[in-house]
Amino acid sequence: MIQKILIANRGEIALRIVRACRELGIKTLAVYSEADVQSLHVQLADEAICIGGPKSADSYLRADRIISAAEIADVDAIHPGYGFLSENAKFAEQCESCNIKFIGPKSKSIKMMGDKAVAKDTVKKAGVPIVPGSDGPVENETEAVKVARKIGYPVIIKAVAGGGGRGMRIAHNDISFAKEYHVARNEAEKAFGNGAVYIERYIEKPRHIEFQILADSHGKVLHLGERDCSVQRRHQKLIEESPSPFLTSDLRKKMGKAAIRAAEAAAYENAGTIEFLVDAKGNFYFIEMNTRIQVEHPVTEECTGIDLIKQQILIANGEKLSFDQGDIKFEKHAIECRINAEDPARNFAPSPGTIGLYYAPGGHGVRVDSHAYSGYVIPSHYDSMIGKLICFGTTRKVALERTYRALSEYIIRGIKTTIPLQKAIMSDPVFIEGKATTAYMEDFMSRTPPDLFS
Amino acid sequence: MKRSELSEFAVEEEGFKLKIRRGGSGAPLVSSSRGSNSDFPVNESVLAAQPVTSSTATSPAPAGPAKEEEGIIYVKSPMVGTFYRAASPESKAFAETGTKVTETSLVCIIEAMKIMNEIQAEIKGTVVEALVENGQPVEYGQRLFKVKQG
Repeated sequence: MIQKILIANRGEIALRIVRACRELGIKTLAVYSEADVQSLHVQLADEAICIGGPKSADSYLRADRIISAAEIADVDAIHPGYGFLSENAKFAEQCESCNIKFIGPKSKSIKMMGDKAVAKDTVKKAGVPIVPGSDGPVENETEAVKVARKIGYPVIIKAVAGGGGRGMRIAHNDISFAKEYHVARNEAEKAFGNGAVYIERYIEKPRHIEFQILADSHGKVLHLGERDCSVQRRHQKLIEESPSPFLTSDLRKKMGKAAIRAAEAAAYENAGTIEFLVDAKGNFYFIEMNTRIQVEHPVTEECTGIDLIKQQILIANGEKLSFDQGDIKFEKHAIECRINAEDPARNFAPSPGTIGLYYAPGGHGVRVDSHAYSGYVIPSHYDSMIGKLICFGTTRKVALERTYRALSEYIIRGIKTTIPLQKAIMSDPVFIEGKATTAYMEDFMSRTPPDLFS
Repeated sequence: MKRSELSEFAVEEEGFKLKIRRGGSGAPLVSSSRGSNSDFPVNESVLAAQPVTSSTATSPAPAGPAKEEEGIIYVKSPMVGTFYRAASPESKAFAETGTKVTETSLVCIIEAMKIMNEIQAEIKGTVVEALVENGQPVEYGQRLFKVKQG
């Protein structure tokens, strides 16, 4: 029976975990860096141990100090939150060998899904669609053209040694493919010293739609619906919602089943998320599995009414999931805005500093998950997210209007935030019509005058 | 506290200090520091009903005087673990009041995950007192020894 949990994280997620533990009657131990002494969760936890200096590498990533703290405080379990050590298979293994329950999947599942190539291979064998591609680099042009035709145009030619969007060329037909193939090889050779390339289907303006999984240690695997996270800037999510305005109930059923198959293939336990890309025609492709609780979990909580953090703890305690797939209802429409201490008008430059007046919105259908308060000094050592605003209602229209209303009430003085930007998005016809894909943010920023979101 | 006219109340005993002050809105602000009789290093200040402003931020190091005395420096813990004053229960303590230390002098052992780590003073001077009892858990940055510089 878990009686004390060490929270190996900080900020809003650490506060979230403290709250869930309080409601379950479980004692909490906060481990913190010297930069987080005044952090809200450190003050609210039952016990607190300083584990290092401000830098993450000297504190929140120090598995040795965290486990040491767990031992001297005699904890039963560690909740790793998201980021930091949450997807570190070695850390999960260390917990296992020290007889401390890691609140998450087994270390072998983390390892399997952490290797993108192994993950794709594993789910492919389970009949989950992946992005069609050449399995590895192509030897020559003849083979490459064959592969491209088999995959189906448009295709993207990627450098094996590449990354960061470099060394990629797109081809829409056989004729352009021949040219792009050689250009890609030459570019790759010059940029990375390795001209090897592989081919994948190019998915134009996909939507990012992910499915929440809950699996207990008794073999039951369920999905709690999807979250549409297409509104992203440089692969950083800004707004998430559930249900997705794009999915039909048929597609939801199909994708939900595929998500469960993927989780079962990984012998998964606890909470996890299966990420898919979905094209305009409704074809979906597995891209990766996140073997941890996610930032945007409240969207699913408000949509389904299920407390995911509590479920994580109950599952870690060895309990069976008390409900079945048919019991899960998607009753509300929920929208989350990540509130970041950044200046959207100046290319999202981080804005750490002291919060002056802080007033969070409230009322029917408004939830704020934040560790901020008046006078809080935002440390510069960690990510810029200072909170999440989740608004929900019976329809998407209500959720949109409520989000706009709540953002208008939200006061965070002394720093710049993404609030004005998210307000502008709530008023944007493309977003209102549910037409946002992963290409949305770039398009929105280019057609919106900066003074509208500062 | 509310029933009396008192707005501030302080108690100081050996190894224990308690100070209660009425905050602006009438809610009490409590701060306590426990010395070497604590079982556990706990964060020193407790957040009251109102949010903390930066002007009332408390210092992170538990135990030890609030004001810095002249010429006094501290040996601080570089890790999380259990503090031992000697190599074994039968051995003499590495550092007592009056012991002269240099940067490389061994002052204590901190056990972390079954490994006994020898801790060096990293400062030069004379030990005034040990601030943690033998066998007590310590956190990163915790003051272990009060040392007079020189």
